[in-house]
Amino acid sequence: MAKSDIKFKIPSTVFYIEPIRAFIGNLAQSLGFSRKRVADIQLVLDEICSNAIHHGSVDATVGVKLQIRIDTHSLEILVRDTGSPQAGEKSWLTQERLSEIEENRSPSSERGHGIFIAKSLADTHEMHPNSVGGTDVRVVFGL
Amino acid sequence: MDSTKLMKLREESGIKILEIKTDLSSYAASDLRKVLEDLLAEKVERVVVNLSEVSHINSTAVGALVGVAKRLRQNGGDLKICALADNLTRTFNLIGASSVVEIYESENSALAAF
Repeated sequence: MAKSDIKFKIPSTVFYIEPIRAFIGNLAQSLGFSRKRVADIQLVLDEICSNAIHHGSVDATVGVKLQIRIDTHSLEILVRDTGSPQAGEKSWLTQERLSEIEENRSPSSERGHGIFIAKSLADTHEMHPNSVGGTDVRVVFGL
Repeated sequence: MDSTKLMKLREESGIKILEIKTDLSSYAASDLRKVLEDLLAEKVERVVVNLSEVSHINSTAVGALVGVAKRLRQNGGDLKICALADNLTRTFNLIGASSVVEIYESENSALAAF
């Protein structure tokens, strides 16, 4: 299959995660991912979109951009938020904040598992500050 | 949409049983938290959450279950979970939540464990 990109933007509300999750599940299944891997991809998408909405969006109107890239070897998802400036920070994603989330995570934590899940389940997981003051999260799943 | 309509509560031998009939992504997870917090407010002590009709759960929903289980235990009660699909079990294991919340194969075994 030639490389193809699918791009869309959703409002920054969690209501839209469920239809996006269903879409990526159907797509991954069509591409030939195993049932287990489809569930992993759906979970990672849910977690990174949820973080982009809760931590990377000032309000519902700013939206979250998604780019899904597929080719013969992989499914790649890029989620881009616009940031939610707090206490003078340009983005919620600072190395200090990431370390804090990682250190505070425990089995009994009620929150803060999303990045850990994405890191654990994706073949590649990258997080970078972007040019609009938010965070880009890129995950890749190999076929 | 209000996903709480897909969360059915019933009672058996003084134990509240919450049957979830929707996947638990972020939207439904916040409704799950509300339903569980209502139970805490009603001073319910023993809860079984039946996930047999759930094919997806995210960390927000797992966190809500863990949080309510911890608070119920502080008052001598507990929250137990039952009937997880394999991928849900994997999510609980990955997060480590299966070491915090008791998980049972069936609703009957969860009820019997109280």
